[in-house]
Amino acid sequence: MPRVPEKLSYWMLVLPALAIMVIFYIVPVLGIWKIAVTEPVAGFGNFEKMAASSAVKTSFIITFRVAAVTTLGCLLLGYIVAYAISNYASRLTPLMVALVILPFWVSVLIRSFSWIVLLGRSGIVNDALRDAGLIDAPLKLMHNEFGVVIAMIHVMLPFAVLPMLTNMRGISGAYVQAARSLGAGEWYAFRNVYFPQTMPGVMSGALLVFVLSLGFYVTPALLGGGRVLMISEYITYQIQEFLNWGLGSALSVALLIATALVLLVAARFVNLRATLLDRK
Amino acid sequence: MTDTTDFEAKRDIAEIAVERYKQGRLTRRGFIAAMGALGILPALGSRATAQAKEIIVVNWGGTAKDVLQEVLCDTYTAETGIPVTVDGSGPSAGKIRAMVESGAVVWDLCDSGAGSAIILEQQGVTQPIDYSIVDKSKVLDGTAYTNGVGNYVYSYVLATNPKLLGGNVPQTWEDVWNTKDFPGMRTFRKSVRGMLESATQARGVPLAEVYDALGTEDGIKASIAKFRELRENIIVWGSGSDSQNLFLQEEVAIGNIWSTRAHLLKDQMPEGSFNVSFNGGVIAPGIWVVPKDNPAGSDEVMKFIAHGQNPELQVQWLEKIGSGPINPEAAAMVPPELAPFNPSSPENLATQIIYKDEWYAKNQISAEELYVDALIN
Repeated sequence: MPRVPEKLSYWMLVLPALAIMVIFYIVPVLGIWKIAVTEPVAGFGNFEKMAASSAVKTSFIITFRVAAVTTLGCLLLGYIVAYAISNYASRLTPLMVALVILPFWVSVLIRSFSWIVLLGRSGIVNDALRDAGLIDAPLKLMHNEFGVVIAMIHVMLPFAVLPMLTNMRGISGAYVQAARSLGAGEWYAFRNVYFPQTMPGVMSGALLVFVLSLGFYVTPALLGGGRVLMISEYITYQIQEFLNWGLGSALSVALLIATALVLLVAARFVNLRATLLDRK
Repeated sequence: MTDTTDFEAKRDIAEIAVERYKQGRLTRRGFIAAMGALGILPALGSRATAQAKEIIVVNWGGTAKDVLQEVLCDTYTAETGIPVTVDGSGPSAGKIRAMVESGAVVWDLCDSGAGSAIILEQQGVTQPIDYSIVDKSKVLDGTAYTNGVGNYVYSYVLATNPKLLGGNVPQTWEDVWNTKDFPGMRTFRKSVRGMLESATQARGVPLAEVYDALGTEDGIKASIAKFRELRENIIVWGSGSDSQNLFLQEEVAIGNIWSTRAHLLKDQMPEGSFNVSFNGGVIAPGIWVVPKDNPAGSDEVMKFIAHGQNPELQVQWLEKIGSGPINPEAAAMVPPELAPFNPSSPENLATQIIYKDEWYAKNQISAEELYVDALIN
């Protein structure tokens, strides 16, 4: 039997996955691009309409704002969790990692509905606060950006924790010990020795959460009360309510380009190759 | 002209029926409705061999299909011996047109909307209603078209929760916009349909002049501006069940919702915490249309439509599903406890206007854009 060149054999291994990507992802995406410039009439009419619409502009601003706040929240909470797991948990590590991954087993839809039960006007949180005598009138915890951000952070948290955790577990404790033995305070050692080493993990977590948040649909649609209209919901709105495939597609192209731009800008500040590929 | 028929409202009526009557059988019903919505059923339901004298009536599926079968069709069969079958696959204007143009018409009578009825008439794919058989006086004024006639009604109504409002219930849309005296969240539809009329009244425009006031671009903008003013107090409903949930979970105290959903809520909400007012409401009719060259023939269908005008049957329709009788005579036969929830009772009619499809055909798309902008920007 003739030997298959090594390179070719690798390609043959990825072929099925590649074929699925091309047939079920790349081709439809190109189809969307085509609709964006052909319906209802050929040309860039949809993009002009989009640029002129202040509703679209606001929706983009809301989308980026929610994604940014979600990312910050996830990094802050996630960093602490990842730090605790990799430095202090030891025997509890498997349990804690399991707890981070567990939410993945529950549908986003169910998790979002749970937040409705918790945050509603007569939800558990409001009822508890009222019974404790802390508030007179129910707080507006959902059907606004606040509710959306809380639930988004909950959904996205594992995506922030996991890359940071992988990164932190690869950092040797010897560096901090060395710094401490040379007289650095606990905070100083963390700030100048440990933290810089975790930056690749932080960055890949941030990118992952931010990009996923930009296109997120379920949670904002359920908890936003119609007024936290993120782009993906706006696309649904155009297509389902008005059968306006042209504008809907143009919006999705715009979102894709915006996401690509974010990655491009990020690449100027972060070594993407290092953060996403060479994870140690 | 754009098709302005509110198919969602129709499908919602079907859904309601599902909820209310056949809870255990939801899956199969939902499946039928979904198939209809996807346009799969007409092909399966084709009866190329439909016997002469069998009438096929098409509506939007769910248990609305069963109720239509039971209330109108079986009674007709009992009277005349002519079998009538309901097909719940959703007779959208596009499907009716495709069927007529392909020359293989299998539907005799379709539950459509005013917007579709007008378009289908212009496209020449429907038949004129024979008003010597169908009684023009047995439908609400304004719902007897050349090629279509009203079959039932539903309304956009002012629903309130007196408990949350401390007993102080808004009576008019102006009150709804008064957040000082009537604090609490409001819900409006995620579309201007039936909503812009409320905002226009909140501007102080008398009910009868609402569509005149919306006749100019400035008029539309002024009404949209009312939503901008109120938006901190607005939660938007997308589907009929959304609006129902918002009331059930006490998320909102006030809302502009479908009367068919209000019909469910009146039984679901605790005593004294749900109220419906048709004051300043918008009433929308369902419209029967007959495709050209229907298999059962024109006369047979007209006789069936006339049968459906029987007020007693229409009252049953209201009791079972919450959609209001199109025949003004029916109002007197409605049980007193249901009368306040009947969109077409004389008292309720006097305080409503008829949904104006022509306006929506011309202005809806631009108004929707402004509406979204007002809510979020």
